[in-house]
Amino acid sequence: MNRYFYYSFLYVLLINIMMFVPNIIIQNRYSGGISSLLLAIPFGTMLALLFSSSISRFPGKAVPEILFDHYPRWLVVPFMWMLAALYFLGSTIVLVAFSVVINRFYNPDTSSNVVLYLLIATCIYCSTRTTLSLVFALEVLIIINAPLVMFVLGKGIFTSDLDWDAMHTVANYFRMPPNLVSFAAATYIFSGYLNMSILNRALPPNFRLKHRWIIPLVGTLAMFTSIFIPIGFHGTEAVDEYLFIWSITADSMKMEYGFIERVLFLYLILYLNLTLLFTTFGWHKAMEFLKSTSKSHKPHLDPEKIPKINWIICGAFGLIAIIYSGVVNEKQNFSIATVWLIIRLFAEILSVIWICWLAYRLKSKSKFKVKGQSESK
Amino acid sequence: MINRILTMFADSKDLITKRMKNDDISIEVAYIDSLCDESKISEAIFVPFSRNFKPFEEIVEFSSEFKPIHEMTEWASSLLRGYVLIYINSKYYSYDASRNIRIENQNTQVESSIQGPQIALTEDLKDGLNLIRNRYPEPNLAVEERTLGVSSKTRIAILFDNRRVNDKVLKNVKKKILEINADMLHSAGEIVRELGGNRKQLFPTTLITERPDRISNSIAQGKVIILIHGSMFGIILPITFYDLMNTMDDQYESFWMSRTLMVMRYISVLMTVTLPAMYISIVSYNPELFRVQLAFSIAGSRSAVPYPSFIEVLVMLFMIEMLVEASVRLPRYIGSTGTTVGGLILGQAAQQAGLVSSIMIIVTSVVAISNFVIPNNSLAFAIRFLKYPLIFLAVFYGITGVCIGMFCYLVYLSSIRSFGVPYFRIHRKPARNAEGDLGQVSSS
Repeated sequence: MNRYFYYSFLYVLLINIMMFVPNIIIQNRYSGGISSLLLAIPFGTMLALLFSSSISRFPGKAVPEILFDHYPRWLVVPFMWMLAALYFLGSTIVLVAFSVVINRFYNPDTSSNVVLYLLIATCIYCSTRTTLSLVFALEVLIIINAPLVMFVLGKGIFTSDLDWDAMHTVANYFRMPPNLVSFAAATYIFSGYLNMSILNRALPPNFRLKHRWIIPLVGTLAMFTSIFIPIGFHGTEAVDEYLFIWSITADSMKMEYGFIERVLFLYLILYLNLTLLFTTFGWHKAMEFLKSTSKSHKPHLDPEKIPKINWIICGAFGLIAIIYSGVVNEKQNFSIATVWLIIRLFAEILSVIWICWLAYRLKSKSKFKVKGQSESK
Repeated sequence: MINRILTMFADSKDLITKRMKNDDISIEVAYIDSLCDESKISEAIFVPFSRNFKPFEEIVEFSSEFKPIHEMTEWASSLLRGYVLIYINSKYYSYDASRNIRIENQNTQVESSIQGPQIALTEDLKDGLNLIRNRYPEPNLAVEERTLGVSSKTRIAILFDNRRVNDKVLKNVKKKILEINADMLHSAGEIVRELGGNRKQLFPTTLITERPDRISNSIAQGKVIILIHGSMFGIILPITFYDLMNTMDDQYESFWMSRTLMVMRYISVLMTVTLPAMYISIVSYNPELFRVQLAFSIAGSRSAVPYPSFIEVLVMLFMIEMLVEASVRLPRYIGSTGTTVGGLILGQAAQQAGLVSSIMIIVTSVVAISNFVIPNNSLAFAIRFLKYPLIFLAVFYGITGVCIGMFCYLVYLSSIRSFGVPYFRIHRKPARNAEGDLGQVSSS
């Protein structure tokens, strides 16, 4: 069942491009971006390993259930609200950004709002599904999209247009002290493990995370490719000038054979899938967190009939997303994403520490119990 | 007895009642002669009774062919199944003399296989059970008989391996069978429709098959089988999407080729679903997607066409669906004429007249052919439908719409459950290294 963990790790890792992670780090490329990257690798890996190993001590329980079991409602409910708001906002940022990308690169004649409405309708439908269904969909979608990712990456790395000198120049700035913004952005690449906070309901009781070396390896690879390939294509200076840096980068690649000439189209199809997947999961998680705050709520992994409350919550999400897109423009969306990444970093650290602490207490308690029992015998 | 039966049945000329007497004893006999084999009756009842070498009482009592009847309520149903009722010594017996008219040809017709077994199920329940028992000689094979349908009283048999079956599924199936409240049931399709509580579902969640080898394989996998008297098809449940894309030949032929064929099938599903929509979105929204030469040749072939691409697509798809539908229903002799007229003349002429582009004709035929590649008929029907919502999305959103539609289909497929079992889950051997399964904690 390890593969389900890595699937959910993978899609978050790939979506970093839509979350403006490369933009933020490229903006700080001379002022600590690179050292933040290097620092983020051990830190992100550590958070991921800590969280996944401590939550597997609570088999079949998601974060809300664990916290509600141990703490009073008034303490947990605001935390749940915060997590829900965070997940919802994160996925909405990506969704709105992607609707603009479609407008810029795919259908310049269609208004980005019209596309956004369709995206939102899709996400409302998909995120109301049961957690188990979404896990199966995740598996299929990752398997379908993995070859596309490989292709775009391979195309990027092995093309002769890539300027390794530029990448070298930027990499030489690794001695600058790291800064918070780029550090938050860089750790985002590792934050896929937080999906466990809901998916843990589905995982089997004897779940143990194997092949842990995948997390730092794949994370590092994704991090460096998503930042250095654009630098290699556009040079050290011009790379700063684009908001949708990867779409432009993909458009700089060319396929000599086959029906399609521009890699951009493959890239867009791939990221359309990933964006939908990310938003679906984000809204689903936010919905589950919100539902858990109701007193009568009983978590159910795979209910036979979709409860009405799912539709109500996700419908509200959709409405808020429409309002958000009306109020916020591209530039503002970018700066909101920057703030979001920082807040997320602290929320992430908080929840990891909290769950770790609980797991540690549980372990020491059970040790104590065993000791007590053996003594009484 | 005879008087009672006569009052029970309406004026039916084929109901035969007789009172007979020999030296020792008198009996009463009743049967419906249109359902019975008269020679069987005379051989088993009339001849021994009139000759009376051995007291007829004893024959009836000791022969296993005569089954005692205890309830009066069973009379009508056994008469209607072709049994003979006998009243002797104030006891009632039934004797099976039923005559079943059925097709004697036992070759597989729908799911043919090249080198696999060629025998198919027949319309007789007993023969079907015989075929399956022969292929699955295990004492664990459980067979339960029921009747379904208020008027049709169709006999069905539920088969499963006692040890391997998933209890949750079995319970679910039995509950759903009890809930069936239809008047007439004749075919496997009707029962399937009644079983799936949600009647508006698009994808088949059961597999209808005529192959005994497939059925016995499924029993070994712990699945539940429903056989129907009077239908050549059995129902396998629960299934996954991937079962429907599988043919028996995949198991009989060499590994690599059958894998390659399987990949080809999935590609053709993708093509038949997306091609018309992609045509619309590429021609009308993103002609720059293709390399320049190809884009020009498509535009050139469309130069004579006076209307937008989606009308072209709808016209051609309507024609091809008509052709497919006509060639299914037509008798064989006219069938070939239909396809010739439709395929050759219409296609060629429509392109030359400038009504559709030549690329569109290629697209249409690829869509039709790749749809035929799908091995299961009900899945092929479901997938035939899938392209229309995509066309709708392509008209308004272009390629974006098509991709979003495909995403929705995937999520929809993974939210389907076939009798509680995930339908679209990519299968891996469960419980490998005693590893737990998804959703174990919540279900237990």
